[in-house]
Amino acid sequence: MITLSYVTSVIIFCIGLYTIMARRNLFKTVLGLALMESAILLIIVSSGYIPGGVPPIEPFMGPAVNPLPHAFTLTAIVIGASDIALALAFIIKLQRHYRSVDLDRIRGLRG
Amino acid sequence: MTLVLAIVVPLVAAFLIPVFHLARKTLPVSLIGIMGLISLSASMAAAYAGWFSPEVSLLGGWAPEIGIVLVADRLSSAFLLITGIGSGAALACALEKFGGGPWRFYAIFFLLLGSMNGILLTGDLFNLFVFYEIFSVAAYLLVAFSMSWQALEAGLKYLVLGTIGALFILLGTAFTFMATGILNMALLSEALVSVPRETLTAISACLVLGLTIKTGAFPVHFWLPDAHSSAQTAVSALLSGVLVKVSIYALMRVCFLFFLETNGTVFLAITVIGSLSALGGHLMALRQDDIKRLLAYSTVAQIGYILIGVGCASAAGAAAAVFHSFNHMLMKMGLFIAAGNVSDEKGTREICKLTGLWKEKPFWVLGFTVLSAAIVGIPPLNGFMSKWFIILSSAGAGTVIPALVIAAGTVISAAYYLRVLSAFVSPGESDQEDPFKSSPRKVRSKIVSLTIVGSFAMFCLALGIMAFSPFSREYFSSIGRTAVDVGAYVGLVTGR
Repeated sequence: MITLSYVTSVIIFCIGLYTIMARRNLFKTVLGLALMESAILLIIVSSGYIPGGVPPIEPFMGPAVNPLPHAFTLTAIVIGASDIALALAFIIKLQRHYRSVDLDRIRGLRG
Repeated sequence: MTLVLAIVVPLVAAFLIPVFHLARKTLPVSLIGIMGLISLSASMAAAYAGWFSPEVSLLGGWAPEIGIVLVADRLSSAFLLITGIGSGAALACALEKFGGGPWRFYAIFFLLLGSMNGILLTGDLFNLFVFYEIFSVAAYLLVAFSMSWQALEAGLKYLVLGTIGALFILLGTAFTFMATGILNMALLSEALVSVPRETLTAISACLVLGLTIKTGAFPVHFWLPDAHSSAQTAVSALLSGVLVKVSIYALMRVCFLFFLETNGTVFLAITVIGSLSALGGHLMALRQDDIKRLLAYSTVAQIGYILIGVGCASAAGAAAAVFHSFNHMLMKMGLFIAAGNVSDEKGTREICKLTGLWKEKPFWVLGFTVLSAAIVGIPPLNGFMSKWFIILSSAGAGTVIPALVIAAGTVISAAYYLRVLSAFVSPGESDQEDPFKSSPRKVRSKIVSLTIVGSFAMFCLALGIMAFSPFSREYFSSIGRTAVDVGAYVGLVTGR
């Protein structure tokens, strides 16, 4: 089961990276960033998993899962949300200027 | 305690500025100046404490295995000094240009200051990532602050590439945690020795790739010229002078602690990236017409020089890299401030139109000349000395090609800086009497910026001469020895 989640996260990561590199639409770029981030978070969360583990809340009934990755994930979610919110804000501003979110039409800074 | 204050004081200032703005609409310049002075003296206090007696601060009193530690040794102190001088100069320029009006700008600025100190002081890998992201978000906002379409586009480009870099750093951190179960950098440097070779390769690839993207080295430098040229003058100077150095610190710290004994290939990769950056940056700078883009590509090349120094994996190389970082901060900030002010007054950034400046503004041109001579590497100036030390340590490490790359890059950089200077001193259109042309636009004289450029130019000369004395050389090589002495760092953090 843990292998399955690792494989899933690798696939999602690759899809995200492919989306950023291959798509010309800025919204799809942001979606790619969000996908990559979710894939990494999935890896971190699954690394704390123990088969048959219980929630790490006192009193423990058996081996508890590692709570540290969960804390990382929460922090990383907040950071990722702020990155993506900022990216969307930039895209909205750019769309008002160019009337487009296509990267081929937004080419003020080439060269 | 001083270490915590260096992070907390700028963050408090960043929080207080919006509060003051709510109370009264315009902020007095003196208030922001005082906040800046207090924040900078807090970071200088941390630098001082770290320089003379390496200091460790366990947050909340937790042991290093489970808690977050802040560490200041000589390497952190040197970079704290670089960021302190650089951000102080940038703040002074911004205050002169904008006054107390844009409160958002200053709030972001202090946020950036606090997160930079956090990166320089933290001894915890995940905490490094968190501070790095605060730092990056503040940097994206500063790039896009003027809200012109160039700035927004540059900010978005920086954001997308910066986030990809951050995600690779996060992936590397996650792999490290999965392999060892700890995040303290000192303990990791011991634990990574027993990690399987394949895992170590994955960890080092993720961390080095992420940090390289954030640094702006050549193959992944696309964001850097746009971001550095589209931002306002004070921000460009800050980006080129200070932010790049913080990324280089993170790269140095992570690579020296984790991979010095375990994975020597990392340093070969850094040397290759550095050589590519040096050549690529100089060649791209040669064909720029926009003066700020030219300076930005020159930054890419100088990052390459610093990375070549880091890639030597020796105390001498690290010391040369830190010395060149310091020099590059002085030279490139001065150049950006001078170029920004001159082109603002002329109303154009195209080099061929920036003519006749020698007659109009001799002091600016003089400052620009000294600083560009320093960055090209004319012997008594500091740029020559640090390049010379990098070449020496690179040849000492047995790799001659990077040394040759530096020498070739010097020739190319001389070509394009001379092109700028020849435009500056050539007689301009204003020489011909044109009755229809109005007198030059009235622009407030920029005494503070001029003073900064002048003092940085003097500093360049002084550092170049100082580098001849064995006493000051000893100071710089002690930074290099601290950087590569992993055992001392581990002993410092764990208290063994």
